Amino acid sequence: MTGVKKMFLVTEFIALLGTNLILMQALGTSTLFIACNSKKNLVFTASVITFFTTFGSAVSYFIDRFAGNGKLSDFRLLFYILATGFLYVFLLSVFYFVSRNLFEKIRKYIHISVFNCAVMGTLFTVSEKYSGYSVSLSEYVLGGFQAGAGFIIASLILTSAYRSLNSAKVPVSFRGFPAMLIYLGIISMAVYALK
Amino acid sequence: MNKNKKKTFEGLFSDNTVLYSFMVISPVIMCGNTVKNALALIYAFSAITFISVIVSSFVPKSIPYSVKIIIYAVISALVYIPVKMTAQEYFSEVVARTGIYFPLIAVNSLITVQTEAKFFRMPKIKMIGSLVCHILGFDAVMLVTAFIRELVSYGTVNNRVMDSDFMISGSGTVFGGFIFLGLLSGLYRKISSLSENEQVNDRGEENVSGN
Repeated sequence: MTGVKKMFLVTEFIALLGTNLILMQALGTSTLFIACNSKKNLVFTASVITFFTTFGSAVSYFIDRFAGNGKLSDFRLLFYILATGFLYVFLLSVFYFVSRNLFEKIRKYIHISVFNCAVMGTLFTVSEKYSGYSVSLSEYVLGGFQAGAGFIIASLILTSAYRSLNSAKVPVSFRGFPAMLIYLGIISMAVYALK
Repeated sequence: MNKNKKKTFEGLFSDNTVLYSFMVISPVIMCGNTVKNALALIYAFSAITFISVIVSSFVPKSIPYSVKIIIYAVISALVYIPVKMTAQEYFSEVVARTGIYFPLIAVNSLITVQTEAKFFRMPKIKMIGSLVCHILGFDAVMLVTAFIRELVSYGTVNNRVMDSDFMISGSGTVFGGFIFLGLLSGLYRKISSLSENEQVNDRGEENVSGN
């Protein structure tokens, strides 16, 4: 790989980090903490969130066209929730027909990955970003997918340090979540500086 | 205090929404940097969560779990509309400044997760008490965080200039929020463990004197 290509990739990666859902907007931090107990959970949660940010953004494109900035804009949250609810039922139905066992396992906690700040925040962020511009559906979808990818990157960053942050070397009071918050803060500071 | 009463009040401190359960932390990190922001979000959070959970408690239990979750979210989105309209009267600047974080209060974990996991498993009166304590627990953390972060980062409290020499400008930013909340939750855990130890010691002494 040539130096220019490498630089391009690094710049793109920094740009992706710079718009990161968790590191730059603290969206979905609670969901990340709930999911990071096991790698399996984390992969599942990150995939579900990416699904909802991507397809949710696609639906929000049409909602934004319909609601605009007038009186209906106050109902935007309601429309987003209805759209996400529809996608949620659709995904559950897919799981139901694909594997009954998997459906039984996930149906009790999948909603944590759906109705949260990460998904709703992405829909609002993408909508706000393109407000007043004439953009296409693909840009909304891309924005949603980028947000989901950002969640996956933040998950990987946190998973890599999960053991150390929960080790006996960390003082008891700070072990686990408090240390994770401080760790995310330091990573966020680094990204802030790179931006 | 008996066990039942203790369970109702635990949302205030021992089972604090933010510091113990690590829920609803993004508004605290992003918007908990000035007292004015905090007051507006406290109002929105308290009103939306209280009304939504109470109304949601009347949703029939026979409805499938997945559908109930959607209904709870829809109820909170409906409650959000008048709450936002009222907020625009009293906190118009803050509503504009907090941007997307204001509507996001309506999808907080107390409504989407804790309703089924905790509140709806309690008798109604106890549920209301526990809900109020959880809300007050969040409000207290939000206010304390905002007070300290505003003082440390801008040298003001509720926009009034304070005579403070200790300034860390970064504490008003996102990373400052993460780090401050991490430190606060560490301190909270330390205090919790100290008070638990004290209670165990007291019980031990009572047992010894009883013998």
